[in-house]
Amino acid sequence: MKDALKHYFEGYLCIRLKGFSPERFLNLCMAKQIVIWDLKYQDGGYQFFIRVKDYRRVRPLVRKAQVRLRILGRYGLPFFLYQNRKRKLYAVGILSFFFVLFLMSQFIWDINIEGNYHFTDDVLLHYLDSQDIRYGRRKAGIDCDRLEESIRSQYPEIIWVSARISGTRLMIKVKENEVMGTIPVKEDAPRDLVAKKPGKITRMVVRRGKAQVAPGDTVEAGDVLVRGAVPIYNDAEELVREQLVRADADIYAITREDYEESIPFLAIKRADTGKSRQGLRLRLGGLSFLWMLPAWGENPWEITAKSSQVTVMGDFYLPVWMDQIWAREYQTYEYFLTNDQLEQEKQRIHQKKIGDLTEKGVQILENSVKIVKEGSGWQIQGTFLVEELIEAGKEITPELLEGETGDATGSSDLSGNQTNTTMTEGEQTAG
Amino acid sequence: MIFLFEQMKIAAADNLKLPKDVVLGEVLISFVGRTSVIVENYRGILIYDDKTVKLQARHCKLQFHGKRLHIDYYNHDEMKISGWIQSMEFGE
Repeated sequence: MKDALKHYFEGYLCIRLKGFSPERFLNLCMAKQIVIWDLKYQDGGYQFFIRVKDYRRVRPLVRKAQVRLRILGRYGLPFFLYQNRKRKLYAVGILSFFFVLFLMSQFIWDINIEGNYHFTDDVLLHYLDSQDIRYGRRKAGIDCDRLEESIRSQYPEIIWVSARISGTRLMIKVKENEVMGTIPVKEDAPRDLVAKKPGKITRMVVRRGKAQVAPGDTVEAGDVLVRGAVPIYNDAEELVREQLVRADADIYAITREDYEESIPFLAIKRADTGKSRQGLRLRLGGLSFLWMLPAWGENPWEITAKSSQVTVMGDFYLPVWMDQIWAREYQTYEYFLTNDQLEQEKQRIHQKKIGDLTEKGVQILENSVKIVKEGSGWQIQGTFLVEELIEAGKEITPELLEGETGDATGSSDLSGNQTNTTMTEGEQTAG
Repeated sequence: MIFLFEQMKIAAADNLKLPKDVVLGEVLISFVGRTSVIVENYRGILIYDDKTVKLQARHCKLQFHGKRLHIDYYNHDEMKISGWIQSMEFGE
């Protein structure tokens, strides 16, 4: 490659050699260190390439070896320039190309942001835009150190920024703070725990508060499971006061979950007609040129495009985008679902529901699914029997407390009957 | 006398485990499949056409037979021959 370039810049000749002793000529060239390459035997003669400056040295050798040389071709830059010496516009065009390339290299044509997870590219690009850094901005006016500093001060969650210009590309690497920025405030407002949905309690762990239910109990939605008001008794077993705490417990119950999904009798299917067309779009700043055959027929077309920015070398981006476009014609038709397809669809929906529940950490005890015919289509009806956490917090407001104080003594009787309840902050497992 | 000197050089190269192409100027031939061969330490070209390349080495002659033989490059040190090589023989 290096030699080929050197030969091109120096200029070289294609020579035809004939005569009395061509081998002697070749050996003499070797002795004089004259470079000859691509030596071929053709039609009783020889053909080879030689550099222009070496050609001037072979005259004595030609006489000595009694051979004749004929120039078949002249190649390389010196000959190219000589042949095109009158084509001034040609030269102007080449010079203009390099001038435009140089001019374009003075601007930013691509902004690349890496390492951002929380802040999207759009957010950061918008901020850069507000700082007057955008596509087409001159490179010389960008102070990378100041840019890094301003990004850090604007977004405290970004703990490290590196900005550098490579070619016509502004590369920004950021590192975000992965640790939470603020310490979550510990909630200590008193609350009760109530049931989110109806069910039968299977097991419970009460960490704080006074349990109102026991394993085996059936509860309805909204029933209080653990009270946040813990009664304090004196030695005479009289209620002195109620201590408000933030009830905390894990209460598992068997609940029932139903779902319904509808499937129309007719399903829509899409099929390609086999017709396709390809095109190319060139976007140059605000201008756009499209080379593509127009759509024919009445069917719709699915169009996909792959966009790429034109680069000269590595990071030398130009403000030119090339879109490769593919279009495929398709048509839609309706058909009745067969029994097998219906069964497959039912299983797919049911498995998806099972997957959703399993993802939530719910234990599925029983599940069943059936399909019934409705007026507008099929209906898939599924039922799950699951074991899950059913408690939900309910803040104790002063009004609510006042309303409850009246029957506080009543609840103390209840607590007396239940031997497996927890009244203090100690941990105890019931059931 | 010359023969004796050569014998001594061969013995020295053998005993000192020196490469013979360097010490004795022996020809070095490297084939790349049947399509190209690089010859080092040759002295000159004796015959060249598209079927035969005959070279002079220090102690012997080399002859390559084949089809469409051409010389990619050659200089003082080495020569590269390409084409379809069918055989090679040594001569005195």
